[in-house]
Amino acid sequence: MSIVTPTRAAESPGPFWRRAHLTPYWLLAPAVVVTAVIVFLPMAQAVVTSFYDLILFRPNASRFVGFGNYIKLFNDPVFWTALWNTIIWIGLTVPLQMGLGLVTAILLNREFPWRGLARALIIIPWALPSVVIALMWRWIYDPNTGVLNDLLIYLSVVQGAVPWLADPHLALYAVIATLTWQGFPFFAVMILAGLQGIPKSQYEAAALDGASPWRQFRHITLPGIMPVLATAGLLRVIWVANSMDVIFVMTGGGPGYATHTLPLYAFIKARQNLDFGYGTAIAVTFTILLGSFVAVYLVRTMREVEK
Amino acid sequence: MGLFRKFAAGLAVAATFAASMAAGSAHAETVRFWYHFDNPANPMSELVAKFEKANPGIKIEAENVPWNSYYDNLYTSLIGGNAPDAAMVKLFAQPRLVEMGALEPLGERIDAWSGKADLLDNLLELNKGPDGKQYYLPIQYVVLYLYYRPDLFAAAGLKPPTTCEEFRDAAIKLTKAPETYGFGLRGGKGGWDQWGAFVFSQGGALKPGGLTNPQAVAANQWVIDLFRKDKVIPPSAPNDGFQEIIGAFKAGKTAMTIHHIGSSKDLVAALGDKVSAVPVPKCGDGRWTSYGDESLAIFSSSPNKDAAWKWISFLAEGQNNVAFNSATGQMTVTKSGAKDWKLHERRFVDATVESLPFAHVLPQNAATSEFVNTAWQTAMQRALTGQITSQQMMDELNALVAQ
Repeated sequence: MSIVTPTRAAESPGPFWRRAHLTPYWLLAPAVVVTAVIVFLPMAQAVVTSFYDLILFRPNASRFVGFGNYIKLFNDPVFWTALWNTIIWIGLTVPLQMGLGLVTAILLNREFPWRGLARALIIIPWALPSVVIALMWRWIYDPNTGVLNDLLIYLSVVQGAVPWLADPHLALYAVIATLTWQGFPFFAVMILAGLQGIPKSQYEAAALDGASPWRQFRHITLPGIMPVLATAGLLRVIWVANSMDVIFVMTGGGPGYATHTLPLYAFIKARQNLDFGYGTAIAVTFTILLGSFVAVYLVRTMREVEK
Repeated sequence: MGLFRKFAAGLAVAATFAASMAAGSAHAETVRFWYHFDNPANPMSELVAKFEKANPGIKIEAENVPWNSYYDNLYTSLIGGNAPDAAMVKLFAQPRLVEMGALEPLGERIDAWSGKADLLDNLLELNKGPDGKQYYLPIQYVVLYLYYRPDLFAAAGLKPPTTCEEFRDAAIKLTKAPETYGFGLRGGKGGWDQWGAFVFSQGGALKPGGLTNPQAVAANQWVIDLFRKDKVIPPSAPNDGFQEIIGAFKAGKTAMTIHHIGSSKDLVAALGDKVSAVPVPKCGDGRWTSYGDESLAIFSSSPNKDAAWKWISFLAEGQNNVAFNSATGQMTVTKSGAKDWKLHERRFVDATVESLPFAHVLPQNAATSEFVNTAWQTAMQRALTGQITSQQMMDELNALVAQ
């Protein structure tokens, strides 16, 4: 912003709150105040709570324990399981959504009959509430009455019904598949918008130079949609990291701890066991981890995009 | 000061005016009431209308809170100072609620109440608080028993099991995987009461050391073996909740499962005469089944305790209680209502009544809530999937109880 700041004597047209250089701050103030009250205040409260041994149904036994909850956390095997699950959860879901979204967007960018309808229909998984999706897929996966096992047995892919959500080696991946299905339309729509912003002339020029479709994709399409991918990817990492509703409804974190991610673990501790001290310690730790990841991601990808 | 006083007086006038406007002619009190019904067609509004007609000064705000997060919502609202005046509550929550100081003692009110003599015997005794005081007013009950498929049993030349050995034998003979399995085990949330029939009957108890004794560990191993070795339980069991075990039984995937009379209507609708029930089998020397209680309580934070009492005692009286139970599909707590009981088929009522002599509730200590809510299922799921042994599972649960 380049506002020429006049000297004080020259300005002074009225009281200080009317001065022009303060206007942006006044305009920003409502948003800042709201954010401060409903985001930063509870965040600060959570940090404070995490230093207390606070079990809600024993309000009188609450006491300050310093880093006690954090020490307990780092010695808690469930924390490390949940951290590892969270890494798999983000590390698989976001790239899968992005890949599927990219393919869908490229398909939808071609000319074909009923394209408008296809573009509208593709958004459905994204438009459905998570809980509906979770319940729906829970029944799809059901080994006794579900349609997926029925299909696989009919096609002789498997011999007997596979307990998708009851097998600790499969459950997390089954939920990831569900979330991939739910989230890919977001990427598809964003990437489609990016694709339409690439001038046709670039492809024509490349075709004249004899560039193969792959090289056109690699050198025109990809750079063209890179800013979209970077931004949408970041948004999805944060969303997927924090989303626990689908896991909660599908498996409740089980079997055992097989689908515990850190936000879910924090939720179970704080809301179901009412152990707010420990629950907020998990949440604060996860916020720091995710925050650092986002910072690194921002620095790296923004540099790439600006190149 | 003068200005302040004027202002305060004005405020008081305004407040009185507003209050009288809101109250209309009478001084209406509002009772906020929380309940949970699975049945979407619930008659609560009819009961509310009937009550409000009889008690013109009281308005009932009844809210159906979804069961899965019922207690999460209840505890947080109590702590947040926004609790309802009265609510449906279960016994496992009582120790925690008493510890929070959230419950209003009801002993004197119940003693003075005309409906007391009409309550089934022993219910008040069963519902007593951990400190011996009466906080809960019973509203409905169920007892867990064994559902089985008479047609499948007859075809295999079997009789409904009365002991654990017969149960396992029948389960093995009825299993024709992957089409049918002998027993539908609820390994997910809420499955502890099925498990209790096999483990609490054989020396297991929810008290320090009560889960780690060799008999209890062996009994737990027996349940795990049904799943892992005998394979008489569907492979989905570790994630199965109420919907799944009932769905599988209705679809003919399982030949036996354990639940209560609340699901009998649904099962009869799907299976007709091909479903019946007997008490859970006797295991070792003991027999244990879960007494599924539901009561009403008034919270100590309520400003309208008298009105709230009128409402909850209304729900526990004769025909009102029958109407209440026709929605939940459970059993009435009144003698007058039970006399002419038409809501369930006779065979399920019989199985319920026959199970009463050995029906128990979990001991009331602070660990019970966590055991029921999260601890049992995470431990059981890992044991069923071979991540931990029976001994490790029991050690883990024992650590919770011994806290």
